[in-house]
This record gives sequence, C-alpha cells and structure tokens, in this order.
Amino acid sequence: MAMNEETSGARKLKCDDTSKCFELLESILDGEMDNSKEVLKEKLAKCQPCFEHFHLEQAIRDVLKTKCTKQEVPNELADCIRQKIQEIK
Amino acid sequence: MSEVQRRKYSQEEKNTIFDGEFMPHIDSMYNFAYRLTFDEDDAKDLVQDTYLKAYRFINSFEQGTNAKAWLFRILKNSFINEYRKKSKQPAKVDYQEVETYYNSDDVQYQSTTDLRADSVKDMLGDEISNALNSLAVDFRTVIILCDLEGFTYEEMAKILDIPIGTVRSRLHRARNLLKEKLRGYAQNMGYNTEEEEEI
Ligand SMILES: [Zn+2]
Repeated sequence: MAMNEETSGARKLKCDDTSKCFELLESILDGEMDNSKEVLKEKLAKCQPCFEHFHLEQAIRDVLKTKCTKQEVPNELADCIRQKIQEIK
Repeated sequence: MSEVQRRKYSQEEKNTIFDGEFMPHIDSMYNFAYRLTFDEDDAKDLVQDTYLKAYRFINSFEQGTNAKAWLFRILKNSFINEYRKKSKQPAKVDYQEVETYYNSDDVQYQSTTDLRADSVKDMLGDEISNALNSLAVDFRTVIILCDLEGFTYEEMAKILDIPIGTVRSRLHRARNLLKEKLRGYAQNMGYNTEEEEEI
C-alpha cells in the first residue's frame, strides 16, 4: 500500500476515540469493511495514534502469518487416517 | 453435528470428497490442533478423530461448500468435548474473568503505548509463537482462525457457534492481550541489550 499522505505531518496527536477507531482499523485489516479505502486514508492522514496502531497491527499480522503456520505435519498422519477410513468403509 | 442429512453419497463420491475437499486441509488442521493441545500426539489424535468423524458424517456435508470451515468446526468441537477435559490445561474458569477484566479502556490504551511496529518486525518466531500460545484458549483460537487461517468473521461465527459481534469483540480483546505479551518481550529485549552493553 503506497500512502504518501502518511508523511504529511498534519496528524493530530490525540485520538478522539481509540477504542472505536482501533476496532474499526482492525476490521479493515481483516477485510471486513466495505468502502474501507476512503475511511482508512482519512484516519491514517489525520490521526497519529490511528496511524501507529494500523502499522503495528499490520506488522503483527505479517509476523503471525510467517512465523506461526509452519508446524510440520507428521508424515504418517495422512496414511494413518486413510487406513482407518478403509477399516470403517 | 446437528446438520440434517441432505442426501446420500455413493462410495465413489465419498472418496472424491474426502480426497479432494477434506485431505488438502490436513496441514492447517494439524497446525490448529497443535496450537490447541501443545502436544504432538494429542494433535495427531485430534486431527485423526476429526477426519474419521468427517467421514462418518459426510452425508451432512454439501459438496463444493466450505469444507475447511466445516472441518475446523468439527475439530474445535472435538477438542472442547474430549481433549479439553482430559488435558492438564486449566478448565475454562479463567476465560470469563479474563474477558471481563480486559474489557476495559485502560488495558486498551496501555497496550498500544510503547510497542512499535518496528520492534515487532525484529522479533523472532519463538517470541510471537510463545505470545500466541500463552493466551487463554478462546482468545488464541480466534487469532489462529483469523490471522493464520484467514477465515472471515462469518465463517468464524459458524465454526465457534457464536454471533459475529462476539467474534469481532473477542478478536479485538485477543489482539490487545497479544500486544500486551509482545510489549513484555519488547521490553525484555531492551533490558537485555543494555545489560550486555554494561559488561
Ligand atoms: Zn484516531
């Protein structure tokens, strides 16, 4: 996401309602908001806490996805399941 | 499994569904099972039980619909009904308390102060993994489903049998708790480097 507006330096330092804003930003990151682009642009351009929260949440999601999904599946598991299925067929 | 049986599949159709729609999710299923049980053997048993149940109840699965969500729901129910009971993990007592306690703006505000995106990016896999694993199972579950497996809120609501609004708020709280843990790690990382410098 390229957002040049991010560096405009005109952001307010205190968020009006972090609780509401942050939950909204998280819904946007989860892809659960329609027309999220405009809302996001505005929030990130105008509010420093929202800007920071968004990037923090994004970083956490990236790290979770790359570091926590690589549990190696034991080789024999699939065969074991197929064999058990054969038995109950 | 309360679904009404829609139709009866032939043996051949059953095999096609099982191999084509169920088995491809074994990696995700195992990852989920392992993060619920923290034990390789328990995770294997849980995945195996899930697949056996899925086969037994295959007539209540509609071919071509969301097999992954259907399987995850079975796995999660098996875990709650069977594994949670016999495992050494503390029962669900902690959950309500934790949920109520953390449902306050104080924690929300605190948790976002001195944790920055850059320090998260510098963290090692173990730290993220440990932070995730340290969450109470209900909070851990929503993060796994959403962030690791990419389920939508609607799918999560079905998997967990809770309303979408609860999915959203539980996720939000889970993320605050996770950030709280990560903040602890980030601080420790800071202390460690300082100590090293003094020596
Ligand atoms: Zn804001």
